[in-house]
Amino acid sequence: MSSPTPREQGLAEQITNALGDKVALDYTNTRRLRVSTSREHMVEVGKFMKSDLGFDHVASVSGIDYPKDQIIEVVYHLGGYGKTEMRELLLALACRLPRDDSKMPSLYGVWKSVEFHERETFEMLGVTFEGHPQLERLLLPEDWNDIPPLRKEFKNPGR
Amino acid sequence: MVKDGGVNVLVGKLNEILVKAVAEPLQYVANWGRLYSLWPAHLETACCSVEFGAASGSRFDLERFGILEAFGSLRQCDLLVVQGSVTRKMAPRVRLIYDQMPEPKYVVAMGACSITGGLYFDSYNVLPGIDNILPVDVHVPGCPPRPEALIQGLILLQDKIRSQSELAAKIKIPQVP
Repeated sequence: MSSPTPREQGLAEQITNALGDKVALDYTNTRRLRVSTSREHMVEVGKFMKSDLGFDHVASVSGIDYPKDQIIEVVYHLGGYGKTEMRELLLALACRLPRDDSKMPSLYGVWKSVEFHERETFEMLGVTFEGHPQLERLLLPEDWNDIPPLRKEFKNPGR
Repeated sequence: MVKDGGVNVLVGKLNEILVKAVAEPLQYVANWGRLYSLWPAHLETACCSVEFGAASGSRFDLERFGILEAFGSLRQCDLLVVQGSVTRKMAPRVRLIYDQMPEPKYVVAMGACSITGGLYFDSYNVLPGIDNILPVDVHVPGCPPRPEALIQGLILLQDKIRSQSELAAKIKIPQVP
């Protein structure tokens, strides 16, 4: 772990100044930031990241299952191609959802590139993205008749 | 000339004569034709297809053993080499391809993935062995198998074809009661 440069610290300051209690800054490292927020503020935080900070695309959307805490965490990795100094930077925007009520607003309205990533997270972890234009299965077989396979209680049927 | 039951001995031996005079020579010719013109379907499910391609290439040259190159229509093919892991989504498609091929048809499971699931045996989306969906004739183990191993497996399949005798059962006339 290396220490953050002024660029990342400046970004972190901008985020905390503008959003205050709505976000929690998890860590600030070289070229890496992590911000977590609640699902109510997700769209607002996303709009701020895009318009004010210049994160113009989402590199990945992934989900993590924590069965001990009964939580599913959805992580958006944001990047920016627009500004030269932002190109090597990645910001992880995390949102923790209760496991039995895993719904959150879709960020399709903010970044168009989340469409397929959110579909994948939907089928793999069972997270429902409200407002997504086409929330259907992407990679799983058409006749999949089981719980989402990346949930920890999924048991492989075997032979 | 009368056996018990009143059936003529010649008539009783008619089956045997038919098998010896018709079925066996026909079977020999049919088997000979089949085993030296095996035509694999062009289906590549995973990385074993690279080794399969190498086996068809000029260095290993499957064609000198009578196994043709993998191209052409499924209606002409009689050999399905399942090359590598088959996912649960791919499984119905593999079966569909097998069903489209005309009889007689043979299946070779190539590589550890298609035999047992290989590295992905506990994955949610990889089939742990294709013998649940296809009748496999020869298993060729390896990860991936060398072209020599594939050639050995195919020669094993040719031995199997050489000894098959399904005509004798078809040609039999029903026994007189």
